[in-house]
Amino acid sequence: MTVRQTLMSVLFIASLTQGCAFVRGTYGEDVQQGDVTTIKKGVSTRTEVASVLGAPDRIVEANGHEIHHYYQFDVKSGFILFFSRTNIQSKDVFVIFDKAGIVEELLVGKKKPPLEFQFWPFEWPSHSSPS
Amino acid sequence: MKPHVAFRLVLCMLAGVSIGCVRGPLTWQRVTLNEQIAQGDVAFIKEGRTRLMDVADRLGPPDEIQAVGESLIALYHFSDGRYFRADYGWALRFVLPFMAPEMVLGGGGFGTNTFQLICDDQWVVHEHAFAWHADSSEFRFWPFGDKAQ
Repeated sequence: MTVRQTLMSVLFIASLTQGCAFVRGTYGEDVQQGDVTTIKKGVSTRTEVASVLGAPDRIVEANGHEIHHYYQFDVKSGFILFFSRTNIQSKDVFVIFDKAGIVEELLVGKKKPPLEFQFWPFEWPSHSSPS
Repeated sequence: MKPHVAFRLVLCMLAGVSIGCVRGPLTWQRVTLNEQIAQGDVAFIKEGRTRLMDVADRLGPPDEIQAVGESLIALYHFSDGRYFRADYGWALRFVLPFMAPEMVLGGGGFGTNTFQLICDDQWVVHEHAFAWHADSSEFRFWPFGDKAQ
């Protein structure tokens, strides 16, 4: 194959493809781990929580408890040639108040691993679902 | 705005943007929400003993908490969507440069999986269950015809 033929082949293959793109987006405010550590169970009030985390995104009332829900969505999308993959991760924090308006429980849990940019659409799920 | 509404809004925007940007002959697309939770990940849960806080320590906080009567329902959402698109008229642009009609066949689906915990007012888990999507998430090469029921 001559240089010219090779070049033409490369150009032809390149014309079939769609380039690449990497896109990042978020919805909502990120709750920092440091912010959460200032909230003390049995001590912090609604006002103190609001001054640290801001207004909740959602409030649920259950059995006399008030549950303040803070959430954020993180989106990373990768697109190379013919393949595209978009990963979305939600990060949630729940602050549960007792009837007196004092923090009773804090649902933060383990910090999720950072979301990855990926483009290959075929390998997930890594775990098999039950039959 | 409720979380599930926000989530759907984000998904719709993403799907719209990503599908709208794709204009090549072939495309395989995948959208995933959160890491999958498997049976083995929740084997530590003992109904009547494990508290929601213990679950959150292992799996992270749930995505949603709902109050139903005296009970609380905590939901973990993790989903998987796949889409395939082929433009069979794409090559015509080399033959008919002034009229390159699209001849697109493709399809896909978005399967929603949920892990659900039912807790009492002391946050103790009394029931837990998975809801798996059957086969809605798949690359579809042929959009016509329905699956046999």
